[in-house]
Amino acid sequence: MRISPFTCLAVALALAAPLATAGELVVIVSARSPVSVLRQDQVADIFLGQIANFPGGLEAVALDQRIGSPERDEFYAKVTAKSPPLVKAYWSKMIFTGRGQPPREVAGSAAIRKLVAENPSLIGYIDKSALDPSVKAVLLVR
Amino acid sequence: MRHQYPFSYFSHLAAAAVLMASCAAQAQDAAPGPAWTFGGYGSLGIVHADYDQADFVTSVLKPDGVGYTRPFNLSNDSRIAAQLGVKVDKKWSAVVQVLLERRYDYSYKPTIEWANVKYQATPDLALRVGRIALPIFIGADYRKVGYAYPWVRTPVEVYGGMPITNSDGADVSYRWRAFGMKHVTQAFYGGTEITLTDTTNVKASGLAGVSHTAEVGALSVRASVFGATVNTNVARALFDGFRQFGPPGVAIADRYDVIDKRIAAATVGVNYDPGKWFLMSEIGYMNGHSFLAKTHAMYVSAGYRAGPFTTYGTYSKVKARDPNRHPGLSLEGLPPPYANAAMQLNGGLNHLLQAIPTQDTYTAGVRWDFLPSMAFKLQYDHVTPRHGSRGSLINSQPGFRSGRTVHVTSAVLDFVF
Repeated sequence: MRISPFTCLAVALALAAPLATAGELVVIVSARSPVSVLRQDQVADIFLGQIANFPGGLEAVALDQRIGSPERDEFYAKVTAKSPPLVKAYWSKMIFTGRGQPPREVAGSAAIRKLVAENPSLIGYIDKSALDPSVKAVLLVR
Repeated sequence: MRHQYPFSYFSHLAAAAVLMASCAAQAQDAAPGPAWTFGGYGSLGIVHADYDQADFVTSVLKPDGVGYTRPFNLSNDSRIAAQLGVKVDKKWSAVVQVLLERRYDYSYKPTIEWANVKYQATPDLALRVGRIALPIFIGADYRKVGYAYPWVRTPVEVYGGMPITNSDGADVSYRWRAFGMKHVTQAFYGGTEITLTDTTNVKASGLAGVSHTAEVGALSVRASVFGATVNTNVARALFDGFRQFGPPGVAIADRYDVIDKRIAAATVGVNYDPGKWFLMSEIGYMNGHSFLAKTHAMYVSAGYRAGPFTTYGTYSKVKARDPNRHPGLSLEGLPPPYANAAMQLNGGLNHLLQAIPTQDTYTAGVRWDFLPSMAFKLQYDHVTPRHGSRGSLINSQPGFRSGRTVHVTSAVLDFVF
């Protein structure tokens, strides 16, 4: 629903990227963020637009993997107990009643890690194998 | 459903709001520029009813339905809407939604479903001014977005009693946390005018209410109360007739006509949705102190999800707490021409009161999410108006019999874009 350069980028990269299955997922924030650990329900609230701040007050802005990616489907199934159509239905309610817009999409764990590392307000989820010291894992997705 | 304001007036207002918002964005150097969003939703539905003595309608704002007028109807559940939004910065945003669906005057003229400017004062406190969706029942504010709920339509017994979906005014909503739960409290004030035909309309002013939603885990509870001062002239000719008959006629007209009647409604709803299944129930109370009568309504719905399929069942009912009959004017001692007129008025009044709903429906259906943004639904409704009421049936014919079950079958394709 959102027209942004990120969507275009996501689509372009989606076409270029090979098909992958999600490995173990971790929720990450910048290594510079004061946040060190989050509960699953806190992460769900941020990604579903129910809360706009990290515990402690810092603004929280979620980044999504691209639509249809195994990382995204697995993340929402495990963290919010919602299948892709249920996530879509949820955002339809939010968007068409003026209560919010879904997180912006970024293609791939490496691109998300890069953005999150640079901005302590951002939060994303990536393959555990893509972790590096620029970011820190605040939740292991189970 | 056309509002009093000409379409162009509101589109100008909306365009102005969106433009203003975008200019404000350019004034801010630090901001990355306004973020525009465009999206929409729609439904293409077909419905069939097996009864030829009345029309089953999905909303009282439809001019006809299915059954008597035609065996199949494409217009009752079909609609399309588009929404343009702009987010200027963290505080300011604006949105306009245009809806096309069949209206009471048989036309498909576009309506501004809502158009408002939002000021996000803090991350948890938001104010909106403009045309705003009314948050009465759990699903009232998104009832037109078929894709957002499991059924073909929201239960007519509960949602049919409250056809107003938006209000022109302001609202404030505040998110907070307490007792281990997330809360959203929303208060709104405004008014609306729905033009039914060239000469008839419904006006609501002083439309005020509070809606509170509390969530914990998969459980969500919403309670709301609202009131409005309502005027409608849909039955004015009938009541003007009664007023010709002196104090007894005036008393009847004052009792039932909708002139500055204060309507009150209260609702409580519960939704439990852990993902694999859901259970949802709502109860509602409404009193319009007129032919918009005192009613109690409720539904319970449960569903189970397996892969792309959701199967669901619903029981819903509405019960009139006001009689749907009235003896009318006494014919005793009236000269024959007057007696005849009075008899016709009494007949008209009782026909009108038959619309005070008492009805129950058993529903079974399946939703199939066959594409990422598209769902197909097939639904069967076992609809029984009772106790002399027409329930959600209109255009009743002489052979109409309350208590006769109407079998309604619907198929709909819902999508979002």
